[in-house]
Amino acid sequence: MNKTRRTSNAIRVAALSVLGIAMLVPLYILVINAFKPQQDILLSPLTLDPATATTEFLEAAWNSTQFPVIDSYLFTLLLVVACNVVSIAVSVPAAYVIARTPGLVFGIVLMFFVAGMFIPAQIILVPTIFVLKAVGLMGTIPGLVLFMSATMIPFTLFIFSGYIRMLPRTLDEAAMIDGASRLRVIWTIVFPLMKPIVATAFVLNALSAWNDFVSPQLILGPGAEHKTITTGVYAAVSSYSTNYEVVFPTLLLAITPILVIFVIMQRFIMTGLASGAVKG
Amino acid sequence: MTAVDTARVGGHRSPARRTPPRPPRWRRIGEQALNGAFTLPALIIYVGLMVIPVGYAVYYSFTEYNGIPSQSPEWVGLDNYTRIFADPASEMHSSLLVTAAIAIIGSLVVNAVALALALLLQKKSRFNTVGRVVMFYPHVLSALIVGFLWQALLGPHGAINGLIEASVGSTIPFLSDPNVALWTLIGVIIWAQFGVQLVLYIAGLQTVSAELQEAARIDGATRVQVFRHVTWPALAPTFTIALVTSLLSLLKAYDVVLGLTNGGPGDATQTWAYEILAVSFANNRVGLACAQAVLLIVVAAILSFSIMALRRRADAGAEAIS
Repeated sequence: MNKTRRTSNAIRVAALSVLGIAMLVPLYILVINAFKPQQDILLSPLTLDPATATTEFLEAAWNSTQFPVIDSYLFTLLLVVACNVVSIAVSVPAAYVIARTPGLVFGIVLMFFVAGMFIPAQIILVPTIFVLKAVGLMGTIPGLVLFMSATMIPFTLFIFSGYIRMLPRTLDEAAMIDGASRLRVIWTIVFPLMKPIVATAFVLNALSAWNDFVSPQLILGPGAEHKTITTGVYAAVSSYSTNYEVVFPTLLLAITPILVIFVIMQRFIMTGLASGAVKG
Repeated sequence: MTAVDTARVGGHRSPARRTPPRPPRWRRIGEQALNGAFTLPALIIYVGLMVIPVGYAVYYSFTEYNGIPSQSPEWVGLDNYTRIFADPASEMHSSLLVTAAIAIIGSLVVNAVALALALLLQKKSRFNTVGRVVMFYPHVLSALIVGFLWQALLGPHGAINGLIEASVGSTIPFLSDPNVALWTLIGVIIWAQFGVQLVLYIAGLQTVSAELQEAARIDGATRVQVFRHVTWPALAPTFTIALVTSLLSLLKAYDVVLGLTNGGPGDATQTWAYEILAVSFANNRVGLACAQAVLLIVVAAILSFSIMALRRRADAGAEAIS
């Protein structure tokens, strides 16, 4: 018994190791080839000769005008924060009312929001452009932030209202009797209790805002003053896709920070995703 | 609940058993107005930029419109829809097939791989933590970047073909042969997607009753039998969620196509979302693009709701177990 268990565990570890290495090969090739000229990339894609390794191409990618690295990072970060602030700030009071008001009306309101979870953002973008044009927000950062927030609200509100339902009612009723206003109860009593679910919403929304390409590309336009990481990479790489001296260093600059963040916060990100889906 | 009911039946003063005193009528009306006011900001943003656009999409789908502000949409009835179904220039049906292939093969493989790996990685250990990170990391990369990365690896002069050529002497047309390119695309999408479902299954496995599994094992059940009769039925709700989420994200594949093949060679890897954004909309055929978008939303909704309806019994069974 013990022996078979040990062999089966050895097989498990071996199989997972092989698969894990296979998963990492693309990343490995990307990293080492960012330090090599085109000729070396084509001749020996799997090895890096320290003697000929150079940061020349990384520097070129860093200084690219198509993908201004620092600017793109700051702008993407701004979008991540702005979309989260907007979608969480409007979802908390709405979710509170929906969770705490009995009756059919707010049940229907919740279903109305939940329906939005089945609408893919990039698919509804074409008609959204005409709405944004009509209200004068097309091509503007507020327009982009509002649209991205709108796509996040259904899920955020859904998991929030589910969570508030689990919080004991006596807490906010007691505060209300003490004369606290509804808004005060929401933000100073209920909201602090929602920390875990707010973190979940933040992680998932941040990931989708960080990786969104279609919304900034279409709403701000390809020639926009500010680029996100994705639109910057697209501008820098799409017309030079066989010039690996450009592709690998650019992609390396685009993925390193998010991978570092992911590795540091992996437990948090993956449990956030799982709890979000279970509540959803 | 009772507070509201007695208020409706018994007039303004009910016995003061409940602690919160009954507010006067004006205050209750004010309260309802306040409730409305609290949902308003979320409603305005959501309705303005999601619901109204769906309305616009439905309206434009019945019109011929090139999107230029000075011109107005011209009502053409069902023309756009008949055009999609008849496909006179035979440009759209191939993307329907591509999307169906990605959705069906993709969701089957993604869920099978994710479930198998979840079973192997479910216990807590340092090795398994590293394993989960390694399996999940493609998902934190943007799909566009995943597409560009694999494009650079699998292109005719890419790293992988370089290796194959060095060892076998010929290359594999991963991206240049229409049939192979579709399989390549499906493979890359699976590579980037399954981590999400893996995390869902691992979370689901944690809810499966360990005592029940142990009891079955003591009764002499083999590993396969334990999985088949205990673990799998208990995983039913997780499977439903994983299937629906994978299907929804596979149906809208666009960024990865843009990076990997840009729809080519020819139109071999054009997905439905690619058709909407990079063909119809890019060529100013807004009416057609909107009809295609409406169709995708309807199909996605029908698929998700039928899966959830079909799975209702299995989901209920899982609750009975746990």
